[in-house]
Amino acid sequence: MTALLRRANPGVKPGPPAAFRAPLFSELVAGLKIDERHVVLDLGAASTALLALLGRSRCRVEVADLAHFGGIDFLNSKEPGPALVGAAESWLPNGLSNDAIDIVFCWDLPNYLTLNALSALMAAIGERARPRAFAHAMIFYADRNMKAQPGRFVPTPDGELIDQCAASETIAAPRYSPEELGKSMGRFTIDRARLLGNGMQEFLFQLPA
Amino acid sequence: MFERGKKDNDTIELQDTNRTESNKAFGSLRTKVTGSSSDVAIIGRSIQINGDLRGDEDLRIEGDVSGTVELKNSALTIGKEGKVKAGVYAKSIAVDGETKGDLYATECVSVHANARVQGNIIAPKVSIVEGAHFKGSIEMDPAAVEKALGKTTASSSDKTVARKKPGIATEAKGTPQQPAKDAGTNVDPQARTA
Repeated sequence: MTALLRRANPGVKPGPPAAFRAPLFSELVAGLKIDERHVVLDLGAASTALLALLGRSRCRVEVADLAHFGGIDFLNSKEPGPALVGAAESWLPNGLSNDAIDIVFCWDLPNYLTLNALSALMAAIGERARPRAFAHAMIFYADRNMKAQPGRFVPTPDGELIDQCAASETIAAPRYSPEELGKSMGRFTIDRARLLGNGMQEFLFQLPA
Repeated sequence: MFERGKKDNDTIELQDTNRTESNKAFGSLRTKVTGSSSDVAIIGRSIQINGDLRGDEDLRIEGDVSGTVELKNSALTIGKEGKVKAGVYAKSIAVDGETKGDLYATECVSVHANARVQGNIIAPKVSIVEGAHFKGSIEMDPAAVEKALGKTTASSSDKTVARKKPGIATEAKGTPQQPAKDAGTNVDPQARTA
């Protein structure tokens, strides 16, 4: 396990999964109040470790797993327009309650969506989210390539993240700029950004009040 | 309704003595005895059931079931070959196969590696093993879980048919029961499997 938690080193060929610090993610999770109810939308795959982390507070977790259930290819293949927002909405989980979303974990998913698809998806999510809701995302920045499939990011007990995706093939990373992202996150706007040790850029977006 | 005919040391075949056209599927329910204590009814791979399925003994599904599955006091396992398109109500639910529909359990829900689950999970304890594929929601607010399970128990018990004796029962043309729309789902972090 110790070997699995080695720090990420940009430029090194894929090896064992590397853990890295994501301060904005940690801050977001730490900010969840134990006695308050929160609704979290996870666009990635279900993670036992994340559920355990969120289980410390009264959370409802909605998991979309867009990569596995075909949402990425579907959204990327659609023409931009109002219909795309409707299509994006259909890929979100149908919760049993209508509680507004407080936090969205996008992980590295935006890298795998066209800007039009990303914009539609975040617009659909924005309709379900409460004012001042947060969205967290990580964008490939330093590396020109990225894994062919989105990561499976899991929090470690040390507060770091580890990508457990076993994919070895790589594809060109779109390396979206903050300006491009700022225009493609629906009503979410950039709150803060950090360059991470693994070469990714971490973003925290927020809906207006 | 059923007689158990011993097949070999480990398997007992359920035989339906009142078999009719409408319940032929019962003839394929088997009970596998493991050790000296518990036995589990099995819906085999070639079996398809469309309707409501109710019972008071543990059940393993390897076939296709759509409608409603209600085993209020028993454990349900959806095996690797099992495909369930139904609202499921049980004491505990373990998934190795595929489910589409909400899963309600009064004790726990376990989603194992390679399982594919689409729907909401409502249970005091939930474990989702890495490698499982899940789309839906999990409520981690104990109050919301309790509320959801309470409503579900009340509404489904109103509908439960009188049972002559323990066993699996199906209503082949029954209307699938809808879960409470405002119900929530729950998860117990301590129960999760790494």
